[in-house]
Amino acid sequence: MTDPILIADAIDVRFGDFQALSGFSLSVRSGTIHALIGPNGAGKTTLVGLLSGTIRPDAGQISLHGRDITRDALAFRVKQGLVRTFQVSSLFAKLTVLENIFLAVSENAGASHDLWRPAGRRRNLIERAEGILERLHLIDTRHRRVSEIPYGEQRLLEIAIALALEPKVLLLDEPAAGIPTDEVGVLLDAVASLPPDIAILMIEHDMHVVRRFATEVYVLVHGQVLTVGPPAEVMASPEVRAVYLGSSGQSRFAGEAHGA
Amino acid sequence: MSTQLLLFQVLNGVGIGMIYFLLSVGLTLIFGLMRFVNFAHGAFYLAAAYIAYPVVLWTGSFWWALLLGPALVAILALAIERLLLRHTYSLPHEAQILITFAVALFIQEMVILLFTPLGHNVPVPSALSGVLFLGPYVYPAYRLAVVGAAALVAIMLWIAIERTKMGSILRAGSESAEMVGLLGINVDRVFMATFALGAALAGLAGVLIAPLRGVEPFMSAEALGIAFVVVVVGGLGTLSGALVGGILIGLVQSIMSTLWPEGAQLMIYAAMALVILVRPTGLLGRI
Amino acid sequence: MRATERLPNLATAIVLAALVVLPFIVPATLASQIAIFATGALSVAILLGAVGLLSFGQGLYLGIGAYVCGILVRDAGMGLLSALLMATLSGAVLAGLLGSVIVRRHGVYFVMLTLAFAQMGYFAVLAFKGVTGGENGLSGLPRQFDILGLSIADPLSMYGFMAGAFFVVFLLVQRIIASPFGTVLAAIRENEPRSEALGYPVARYKTVAVALAGAIAGFAGGLHVIFLGFVPPSDVELEMSQRLLVIALIGGIGSPAGALVGSAFYMIVSEALSEIWPRWLALIALLLIGLVLFLPGGLWSAGRRISALFERKTAHD
Repeated sequence: MTDPILIADAIDVRFGDFQALSGFSLSVRSGTIHALIGPNGAGKTTLVGLLSGTIRPDAGQISLHGRDITRDALAFRVKQGLVRTFQVSSLFAKLTVLENIFLAVSENAGASHDLWRPAGRRRNLIERAEGILERLHLIDTRHRRVSEIPYGEQRLLEIAIALALEPKVLLLDEPAAGIPTDEVGVLLDAVASLPPDIAILMIEHDMHVVRRFATEVYVLVHGQVLTVGPPAEVMASPEVRAVYLGSSGQSRFAGEAHGA
Repeated sequence: MSTQLLLFQVLNGVGIGMIYFLLSVGLTLIFGLMRFVNFAHGAFYLAAAYIAYPVVLWTGSFWWALLLGPALVAILALAIERLLLRHTYSLPHEAQILITFAVALFIQEMVILLFTPLGHNVPVPSALSGVLFLGPYVYPAYRLAVVGAAALVAIMLWIAIERTKMGSILRAGSESAEMVGLLGINVDRVFMATFALGAALAGLAGVLIAPLRGVEPFMSAEALGIAFVVVVVGGLGTLSGALVGGILIGLVQSIMSTLWPEGAQLMIYAAMALVILVRPTGLLGRI
Repeated sequence: MRATERLPNLATAIVLAALVVLPFIVPATLASQIAIFATGALSVAILLGAVGLLSFGQGLYLGIGAYVCGILVRDAGMGLLSALLMATLSGAVLAGLLGSVIVRRHGVYFVMLTLAFAQMGYFAVLAFKGVTGGENGLSGLPRQFDILGLSIADPLSMYGFMAGAFFVVFLLVQRIIASPFGTVLAAIRENEPRSEALGYPVARYKTVAVALAGAIAGFAGGLHVIFLGFVPPSDVELEMSQRLLVIALIGGIGSPAGALVGSAFYMIVSEALSEIWPRWLALIALLLIGLVLFLPGGLWSAGRRISALFERKTAHD
């Protein structure tokens, strides 16, 4: 077991009277895919905001590579290798696929401060951008506007952009969310092909995805960690099942536990 | 500064602050519900003041002006909301700012057209033309009346917002206009009413303040500026924000006018700059 | 990489042609003013068009540029070009300082603060009337007409200088928009949270953009005092900020060329109508409402649409 890269320790987040996260702790290790599951309103969105830097905790600490980043700005965390994707695709809709990823590559290379030279001249950056697109099979649509490509490809682009930023820790916020079933496979193959040495925290609802990829699962309920463990164990746990009330929840777990 | 002078300046400052509150509350109410800043706020203030001027001139009655000013401005605001603003809600916020700015420019030009670019005096209503003696200091009775009116408005608004059904719709709407719509309430009408109310409040301020400072066509920019400072300092969107912001700014102006009279207006803005540095959302703000 | 303008070279050609033709259509003094305010309007356009930041306060930096330039010429005996440089720098520094504070606010809050600071500038000028001349403005400047040995004393040479100055700024703005920096600004305009999640220090980029815009406005202020020979306090009044904004909007913020189109339109209409109907600004206000509702791209985009119509027509032939 490798050392954890990203550690959240005893985090409290309050919005007025509402306790979004309470005593929350988590550690993410490189080369491992962790999943975070939990019913709606459990605090998953707050957690992503907290880790990426848009929300500051009221108590507790976050550290990355052993360094306290609790007060650090979003952009700084990205530079340290903490990258997130968005649950609802947040891309530059009016720009092309290539331009979207070029922006990521360019900033990652520190090339965006240039006020003078026309942007089209940076051949090596364009090549890098195209390389990433090629790996994710997006290369053919690279000159199309993002608003014109299917949603499944937009979700792929989110992952491509995350890769372009050379992440050490990747927060995947429901990567398959909103994708029509016939396009999910492509996305999941992309997740499977992510570099094995990075640390991944995947927020997910879909138990198939969790079972396929995650080695460790956190279950978040009402802002607190209910349990942590390997997928099979977590999904067989009666406590966890009880939380996911309703027959759809029960059958979801029942199917998984029996290896369906 | 002697304690007596300081005390007087503080009281004076609170008085000015209440007037500034009155000037700004319409702006903050509109933002609170409709989530946009009405750049025609100063123009509504101006329009009502310039309705008051001829009304007082011709009828000799300030009370008619007090009635007609805000009422006519509210009607103007309703027309603007229906005909123009309504089409901009789906557009980015710049569109609403620019449209209300253009409306303000138009109103200002119309005022100059009808009344010339020169300023005019508006006489204080005779019932309130006396002065009050506070120790060695003299305080105009009318000014005190305006402060009292501002306090009255604050109380009435507070009651209206916290205790009435319309108020709770307003409060709910400021959380989420969408939700209010989903509850079956006619959001269009609520917006219209709020915009008209905000305009009427600006107009009320315009009429009440007219005898204090006279009227001139370029005071709309000054009024807008002050309203902006008050809501930035106090926090945008809340009644209490306008109150706190207004009083604070009033205090700054009052104290500065004894220490450095030419710089008093400048210090208001400097105070604003300081507040933004320390507390960007304003003292009571949430966004 | 896509720039804001699809055919920047065409825009440049049109602007150059317009600048050459202008003194033949209107009196040279009016043409100079058109060039000066077009430069000022560029400071609005670069903020709104490139970054999506609406500023009601560019007049503040124009004003400070004018006062700095005027004071240096009058009291320090500085040459026109050096004073102009200082005007530009003062605009940049002030904008950078104020900008670093206000870019952290978004949406309407940002716009409100630009207006409030513009008012602040006006009251500062009044408060320090020993330096600025207060309500009387800055006067007593020696009329200087010497730029690098060439005289700009007659109206046509003055215009030549102003037109050249505008053209330089125009080219610079085009360059910046097409640069990687400009692309990031476009990204921030399109989707700020996403830009931040890409690791861009968004506040820093915005501050630089605000400082650049302040520099351009300061430069325009310096040009204005060179043209007028004194600094009227109206240079720093809210009305100046509003004028620059209106010009930028009428011309269209999608392209830097819009600044020239808007300025020409505004100044010519102002000249033509102010005798007949002094309240011509009311018509401009109505025009603005129409533009916001029906033609947000301004006159420049109208020109583009008409030429696109022509392209389609000839294609069908």
